Amino acid sequence: MRLLTHNMLQCHVKSCNDPALNFPLQFQEVELEQIEAEENEALLLNLVGKIDWPALVQTTSELGITGLPPTKPDVVKNDPALMKRLHEILLETNVAQGKMVCRGCGHSYPIKDGIPNMLLAEHEI
Amino acid sequence: MVNKPQPRVLAEPLTDAAKNESEFVHDVYNQIAPHFSNTRYKAWPVVESFLNDREAGSVGADVGCGNGKYMGVNRKLMVLGSDRSIGLLEITQGRGFEATLADNLALPYRSDRVDFVISIAVIHHFSTPERRLQAIRELVRILRPGGQALVFVWALEQKGKRKFDQDHQDFMVPWVVPRNTASVSGVQTEAEVPPPEEAENDRVFHRYYHLFREHELETLITESDLNSAVEIADNGYDRDNWYVVLTKRIPE
Ligand SMILES: [Zn+2]
Repeated sequence: MRLLTHNMLQCHVKSCNDPALNFPLQFQEVELEQIEAEENEALLLNLVGKIDWPALVQTTSELGITGLPPTKPDVVKNDPALMKRLHEILLETNVAQGKMVCRGCGHSYPIKDGIPNMLLAEHEI
Repeated sequence: MVNKPQPRVLAEPLTDAAKNESEFVHDVYNQIAPHFSNTRYKAWPVVESFLNDREAGSVGADVGCGNGKYMGVNRKLMVLGSDRSIGLLEITQGRGFEATLADNLALPYRSDRVDFVISIAVIHHFSTPERRLQAIRELVRILRPGGQALVFVWALEQKGKRKFDQDHQDFMVPWVVPRNTASVSGVQTEAEVPPPEEAENDRVFHRYYHLFREHELETLITESDLNSAVEIADNGYDRDNWYVVLTKRIPE
């Protein structure tokens, strides 16, 4: 699972609806892996508009990943160093093992062999 | 091929939708995953052109992505794949695609985010109209305003290899894993799983399907709360399926 996917996921337990807490999920005991990805400028620029920047900054800092400005820059396109770093973080940083824990309800979503398990029990839907 | 097992009408309705879908959809796909995957490599033209028509750099969701056969069609896109079958997802992940284990009735993605969604041969596995509608609601929820969803479902009126009794819509459809195929996965399920070695006889698995009549898919949407959320941009018939393209309305 790439970090870009993590930025799109949230805790979706029905009773867990405080947006300040159900996103972003907190990584725990993770094993990271860098996997080379094709360059795609159009995708990166689209992602910058789509992702939640504060959540990405929080998550990367919890993982010990550096190189992102704390607030989203107005123009990213003219900053090749930042574009390169975003490519490495969003598209090339993969979570192979670990779990994602909700800061609201404590639900733990396991990640095994790169596949997050986002299934809920019937009573949580 | 002699004695090809034919679909059979479901004599009685499924009583516990969730439990029955688990047994006759999820467990079956887990068991037939490798063999099923080996037969799923050709992209359908309508799906292929929908994907090729997306703007470069678009981010989409393939909900019910199976083995990920549509995820690499257009390399300029980023597709987030999800499925209910871990057996199929392991294949998808192995091909380098984004794979998430998730339930179409309660997707884990944030709302109003992805540029497009595809749902290919998925909604017909839900066994009540409300569950089919809920699955489509979730596809629309995750779409950004102005984004499009392509939904394909099996047609009752199909003229292909399989024949369906036109007076019924709910069927058990056999999937035959030929003998001497080392293709049954070892994924643990509640059902009895044959060991993953070569079998001496053909094995037949049954999957539940609701076959859609012409316009049933559009009506399901337009006669629900979704009518105010989406516009039907296109609809038609292709490869034994009815399909619809939905555009999520932009709030005024
Ligand atoms: Zn939660």
